[in-house]
Amino acid sequence: MKRPANRPINIRLRRLLVMLPWLQERGTVSTHEMAAHFGVGVDDLVADLTLASLCGVSQDPRDLIDLYVDGDEIHFGLPKYFDRPLRLTAPEAFSLVVSAAAARSVPGSDPDGALASAIDKIAAVIGAERVTGLDVEVDVPDGVDELREAVRRRAVIDMQYWSPETATTTARTIAPFEVFSEGPHWYLRGFDLGRDAERTFRLDRIESWVDTGRTDTRPISTRRAWFEDADDVREVSVLIDAGWLWVLDQYPVIESTSIDDGRVRVRLVVTSDRWLERLMVRLGTHGAIESPDELRRLGADAARRVLARYERT
Amino acid sequence: MHQLERVTNLLTLLLSARRHITFEEIRNELRGQYPEGKEAARAAFERDKAVLRDEGVPIDQVTLSGQQAGQTGYRVLRSAYEIEDFGLTPEETAALRVAVGTIRLGTNWAQEALWKVDLAPGDDQVESASIAVELPIDERLPLVHRAIAERRCVTFVYRTLERRLEPWGMLARDGWWYVIGYDHGHGERRTYRLDRIDGGVKIAGEATVEVPSDFDPRTVFPSDPKLLPDAVDVGADDAIVRVDASDAAVVLHQYGDEAVVERHDDGSIDVRVPCSNVQAFVNWLLGFVERAEVLEPAPLRQLVVEWLSETAGTP
Repeated sequence: MKRPANRPINIRLRRLLVMLPWLQERGTVSTHEMAAHFGVGVDDLVADLTLASLCGVSQDPRDLIDLYVDGDEIHFGLPKYFDRPLRLTAPEAFSLVVSAAAARSVPGSDPDGALASAIDKIAAVIGAERVTGLDVEVDVPDGVDELREAVRRRAVIDMQYWSPETATTTARTIAPFEVFSEGPHWYLRGFDLGRDAERTFRLDRIESWVDTGRTDTRPISTRRAWFEDADDVREVSVLIDAGWLWVLDQYPVIESTSIDDGRVRVRLVVTSDRWLERLMVRLGTHGAIESPDELRRLGADAARRVLARYERT
Repeated sequence: MHQLERVTNLLTLLLSARRHITFEEIRNELRGQYPEGKEAARAAFERDKAVLRDEGVPIDQVTLSGQQAGQTGYRVLRSAYEIEDFGLTPEETAALRVAVGTIRLGTNWAQEALWKVDLAPGDDQVESASIAVELPIDERLPLVHRAIAERRCVTFVYRTLERRLEPWGMLARDGWWYVIGYDHGHGERRTYRLDRIDGGVKIAGEATVEVPSDFDPRTVFPSDPKLLPDAVDVGADDAIVRVDASDAAVVLHQYGDEAVVERHDDGSIDVRVPCSNVQAFVNWLLGFVERAEVLEPAPLRQLVVEWLSETAGTP
């Protein structure tokens, strides 16, 4: 594996301080197992552990951190300095408690089970006030459980999917990868067998689905930014009044920068004109397409079409 | 010598010290690792300390007396450095593993925390989660949470205005984080969405207003943003919206059959939808572009027409 140049020192130190006590608990472990557990490359792991084995209060071998790497195995000797990991930082404690609280409120989990007692034990140590004061609601719509079960089985499904761009329903055959929520919406990500490409679908636009009885065990890819699986993407630059950025909630922003006149220049990835149209009508006079040039009138044209409808009734 | 090696050596030294040690003593112990010149060595030492502090290493710093009077002494107390033993059972640790795998916070903090509390050898495999909940957090959230715990005020910019809030609680709803508290500018309780705050959050001063004993973040603001109170009054809390056949299924999915006021032969439907927050309502309505229109109340329809006319007139 190629080593990325100059991994930041803080990340390497942070990892080292938790890896050493972990290693001490185990004594001997394979480089691959340890690298996988901590999500680092084997080469990076070996480099950092080798460096650690040269560290201590002096260069006397008796003072050095007692470990060595032998081929594919790492051996840990006598504990000296880092018997326990560093205390949780405030963001770490907060995040762990949020994860536990959120997972607890996912329907199907036992609200009084192991997560609840884990939170109680953490609270008893770090202080109840660092655990209370936050609350998580996870609203899982009907039907998620069945889909999730289909994902777990790696079942291929046939579904009727409604597309807001074309306002039509099409039949799709999908090998699902995962069900996830983002903002208020839930999505199904999977491999679209008809289109031979990965796709992401909004659950509330799936009108119906059935299990085909077949399974598909292709490797589950890691999720990319969700717009990357669209066919035809282009980049658009929109100028938005500062108080109106909230309209962008569900739009994939690449970058936003404040400009001198108080507006914000936002670079967006756009998958279809229909989709950009919706944004521009929602922004009204508070947003303007800066580039590409040919799209400048998109919002005004769409508004005129909607107005025509109001004039008819 | 790589800085990582020197920082690690420095940390072993500070953890092993039985008393506070001075920079000169550290430099002597770590011979050859800091630059020759005193100023350069000092600067390098400051950088190392900053790295350790940024990682949360509690460096205890005192001004010494006696023979070393006036000098600064440093030490890391093992009791302050080491993570406490939470006494978690294997089942509790396993449940935390599943939780961290399911809830995606968009940062690595929860994973870092899990590595620290999940040291014991054993089965640490997690079945790949077939479900995931996105709940993005950033550095402002632990800060607001700290202010809640410590009963402090926070200041931040929201919709271009500077706000001063005594936060009472945080709530994640529909994938967004909200903070609820006493707003000094408005002199009453307010709710803000954390991701809509412009820039950072600062902790500023003690809280002065008592948190109501019956305060519950889940009940203080409505779950549908279209029900949030708003400055615009259109004389009604519900609107009637005509939705084309193509989009009817989606709206029914959202509001249910009970919202239907009338069904038309062409498949379009008239539905009753909350509109007391006019801005949220208009944002929702315009998502359908020309495939939906608001029929009633008249002032709301007029407002939408004006919005569209202005938008159509934009060069």
